[in-house]
Amino acid sequence: MFAVFKKELRTYFNTLSGYVFLGFFVLINAYFFSNFNIGQGIPTYSNTLMYTLSMFLILIPVMTMRLFAEEARQKTDQLLYTSPVSVSKIVVGKFLSAAVLFLIGLIIIALFPLILSYYGEVPFWETFCCFLGYFLLGASLISVGLFISVLTDNQIVAAVGTFAAVFFFLMMDGIIESMPMDTASSLAFVAFIIFVISFVLYNGTKNIIVSASLFAAGIIIEAGFYFYDNLIFDGIIIKVLNWFSVLNRFEGFYMGVFKLSDVVYYISFIAVFLYITVNTIEKRRWR
Amino acid sequence: MIEVKNLTKRYGKNTAVDNISFVVGDGEIVGFLGPNGAGKTTTMNIMTGYISSTEGSVIINGFDILKEPEKAKKQIGYLPDMPPLYGDMRVSEYLEFVCDIKNVPKEKRSDMLEEIYDIVKINDVKSRIIKNLSKGYRQRVGLAQALVGFPDVLILDEPTVGLDPKQIIEMRDVIKELGERHTVILSSHILHEVSAVCDKIIIINDGKIVAQKRTDEFENMSEGFFNVRFKAVKSSDEILSIFSGFNPSFDGVMEMGTYDFSMSVKNENGDLREEIFNIASKENIPILMFKPVTFSLEEIFIKVINNNYSGDFENGVLDENSLENDAEKIDDALADEEDD
Repeated sequence: MFAVFKKELRTYFNTLSGYVFLGFFVLINAYFFSNFNIGQGIPTYSNTLMYTLSMFLILIPVMTMRLFAEEARQKTDQLLYTSPVSVSKIVVGKFLSAAVLFLIGLIIIALFPLILSYYGEVPFWETFCCFLGYFLLGASLISVGLFISVLTDNQIVAAVGTFAAVFFFLMMDGIIESMPMDTASSLAFVAFIIFVISFVLYNGTKNIIVSASLFAAGIIIEAGFYFYDNLIFDGIIIKVLNWFSVLNRFEGFYMGVFKLSDVVYYISFIAVFLYITVNTIEKRRWR
Repeated sequence: MIEVKNLTKRYGKNTAVDNISFVVGDGEIVGFLGPNGAGKTTTMNIMTGYISSTEGSVIINGFDILKEPEKAKKQIGYLPDMPPLYGDMRVSEYLEFVCDIKNVPKEKRSDMLEEIYDIVKINDVKSRIIKNLSKGYRQRVGLAQALVGFPDVLILDEPTVGLDPKQIIEMRDVIKELGERHTVILSSHILHEVSAVCDKIIIINDGKIVAQKRTDEFENMSEGFFNVRFKAVKSSDEILSIFSGFNPSFDGVMEMGTYDFSMSVKNENGDLREEIFNIASKENIPILMFKPVTFSLEEIFIKVINNNYSGDFENGVLDENSLENDAEKIDDALADEEDD
């Protein structure tokens, strides 16, 4: 794991991508810093960080597009997968290298609130909390980018795919608001989820009876709940999607409110995407 | 010791490797021989744990590659058909990384790397960036990568492809040298390369093993025949009628080119050049060139992969059409490979 981590971090600085990321990240932050904090005399740095969120659209693909796509293209994955290292260690090593690059960027821009503190009172904990949330949000999106990089051997495809995914996650709140609230569509949504779960089960086991009975049981339970209390289903689409919204969780950190549940949420989000990544690689090798 | 049992790999309906079994003893150099697309690379990828098999098992020094992958992979150094190099790294950085990923203890590293630099002769490029290296050097760095940690088993997929003749000879010498300390499996579609290096040859075609023998046994297959190549200004029909008229065992005449013939005769009387010459001179055919040839491994190889060497070959007849068909088949196989 450490070997892959070290190699990836070195590659960021052997190729230009590490410098491109850091340069761009610091430049954008410096621009907003001078505009808001210095130009308008705002002492909190959280606002500035919030403004730079949309930069994830470009920064995340820059960090993650190469990670697996380039290995596949150059066939260096043959070295990795025939070495005495498990796939999960390779994936975690790669994830950590991107996360650490991102952390380096954050440490550099932490200089900006430090500069501010010379001229006035900067709320330390609130700022720290916001940086922590910013890091966790970025790391979550990195895990998404890492997963997309596994799906292709073309860096450009990986970059565009990651751009789209990050766009989706950042725009998710707006999408959620426009979701229908009525009972009928909620019922359909739940039925769809049950279908997806059954299909995944079928895909994994190729056992049509078990999957079909799971689907049937799910629909019966859904119907049971509906007749028991049909208000349960109201707005369920929004509730479920809100749970998946990475941006939603960031708001607490942005306000300077530290909640352990949010940290756990981000860590589980990352774990799930790393798990899917490992599984995708393993499955491809078993195909 | 490598044991491969009933190895099968299917991609959907397509069977790439079909029920292959063989055993490689410690210290042997074994050559995988077969036309392109025969399943050599797939077999090697399965043996090294890069992909899984559909059925069957690979056991390396007692460790199953699927059940105990990390222990089994520790026993193997693998040079795939395209050396897995990171173009942006320097050679020394790259080999350091390979040491890291293969868990070579820090204190052993510098001595081991020095030794590897000497074996594959890359001392003068070790601080260069890999993407600027020539194909020959890349291949050597790839081999160096496989040698890191000096694993018991070396698996080399077409190690000499793309090298110039001098480099090919050097690479062969390196492999022979390595064979003294390691078990080596290498693949190739070039016959004399395999026969020059290997103790044992396994011929694969269409995913199946069609022959596995010691190299000298393959070479002995041409014993019992006398082959002669000669040039004479006559059509092949005339030549055929002249020689078949005198002695029934002369009827194996094949036209190799214009006025260029190859004749195969059951060898009971030893060298038959005198008799052939006498016949030719009686018929007043001037012989322009005349030389005895050993049956080449190429011909044996083509016969073996076509499963019909016992027929034609035993009569000592090389059928012109069959050879042409073989050439077409090999061309087809090459075209298939390119399509992939």
